[in-house]
Amino acid sequence: MNAAREGRVVLALGRRSLSVQFRRAQLLMPTFVLPLMLLAVIASGTSAAQDLREFPDVASYLAFIVPGTIIQGALLAGLTSGAALAADIEFGFFDRLLAAPVRRTSLVIGRQAGTLGLSVLQTVFFLLVALVFGARFPGGVDAALATIVLAGITAVGLGGIAAAIALRTGSLALLQSIFPFVFVLLFTAPAFFPRELLTPVLRDAAVYNPLTYVVEAVRGLLAGDSALGDPWVGLAAALGLAIATTALATFALAQRLRSL
Amino acid sequence: MSAPGAPGALPVAFALWRRSLNEVLRVRGALLPATIAPVVFLLGMSGQFGRLTGLDGFPTDSYLSWIVPLSCLQGAGFAGAATGSNLARDIEQGWFDRLLVAPVSRPVLLVGPILGAVTRSLVPATVVLVVGLALGAELPGGIPGLIALYVACAGFCAVAGLWGVFIALTFRTQQAGPLMQQGVFLAVFLSTAYTPEVLLRGWLAGAAEVNPVTQVLELARQATVSGIEPSVSNTVPGLLALAGMLVAFGALALRRLGR
Repeated sequence: MNAAREGRVVLALGRRSLSVQFRRAQLLMPTFVLPLMLLAVIASGTSAAQDLREFPDVASYLAFIVPGTIIQGALLAGLTSGAALAADIEFGFFDRLLAAPVRRTSLVIGRQAGTLGLSVLQTVFFLLVALVFGARFPGGVDAALATIVLAGITAVGLGGIAAAIALRTGSLALLQSIFPFVFVLLFTAPAFFPRELLTPVLRDAAVYNPLTYVVEAVRGLLAGDSALGDPWVGLAAALGLAIATTALATFALAQRLRSL
Repeated sequence: MSAPGAPGALPVAFALWRRSLNEVLRVRGALLPATIAPVVFLLGMSGQFGRLTGLDGFPTDSYLSWIVPLSCLQGAGFAGAATGSNLARDIEQGWFDRLLVAPVSRPVLLVGPILGAVTRSLVPATVVLVVGLALGAELPGGIPGLIALYVACAGFCAVAGLWGVFIALTFRTQQAGPLMQQGVFLAVFLSTAYTPEVLLRGWLAGAAEVNPVTQVLELARQATVSGIEPSVSNTVPGLLALAGMLVAFGALALRRLGR
């Protein structure tokens, strides 16, 4: 009974988190528009890279870099939901939630549910736009569905980091100012180029970035070519990230409650 | 004509310039986003696309040297666009309404903040340049090239500032901030940002050809790209592009201010 009730709480909080973001278009614009802008510019600006001898033989260059866009979307979805949580804390709504007769962990998981929903919408949108502009995904519909799942779990993982920072600091301004650091995570993964063609320093750093395995997994799935990335390794990396950061956010919540 | 006893245009512009510089001194981290974002892009892009220099037609074998001017312009552009966010804040808080009733001509109200932005833009442009040089970017253009780079950054910052002012006066809210920044982002990236014109394919080749920022980038790249030496022919198109954009966005901002 309790589990069903907490499930309803998580669902309600997730729905609220999504609807708040859709009502504030200025929050959503960067998460939906910015990755597509970067995709369009990189696809056209660097497509000559296919002439490099070491570049893998791929059916579509646009499809090769779409995984980078999807992961960028997951990063921004996580950051956006962290910013929304910080806004809830700053404007006092979170304090009212704390007084509600629900488990505290449901407050964190509810927020993560909203991040998951946002990521699903984003990934579907990005895949459709890429298809319209000529990307080909030999992996088919199953691969697209698996991509949506992988991106969703990754967004939850990244949302966990943002939620932990929001809970620890309660500062909307801080969350907004860490926006550039999102790109550190993106660029230290082979988001838009094969790992073998990254500069040596970046190639070494990419090994330690879980997003490397997720982006390669998505690339392998969409291209229907496991040589480009192993989906199971990507799933393990995404799950590991999600579990670790949700635990981190829950711990940050406990710390916050202790300091009240 | 100014009212009797009213200050002249120069002291007003100077006071507003000082006020906008105070943002840097008194607001902690005010310049951080405009400085860190281009550095992150510099490191990320050069790491991701460094091997593009192996393609026939690339004028330099150092991708870092190719991308440093782009990141300098980006930083200067973000510093310029922040003028719009600051103006939108002043409008929301009623401070700008008080300025409007001051006995000075309205264009003077824009000169100070734009000059402030140009001064502030020296910080991100210099930080990006220093980071780039420390990581191995070349400086074959010497002092003339450096002057060209800073002129390009200052001019582009002023253009971005006028764009930000136009957006702020149109929407009158800080929520329009992303629009100001994304305008800069688009202007910079719809050019020869990643590769030279000969290697661009598809729609971006056409966009880069008509985008005046492509010429501004050429002006800036005289500092760091060995295939683009400092010369009149590499300088004049960039200066003309900057002048054209300043006139166009200045006219838009002033027209909106007049309303």
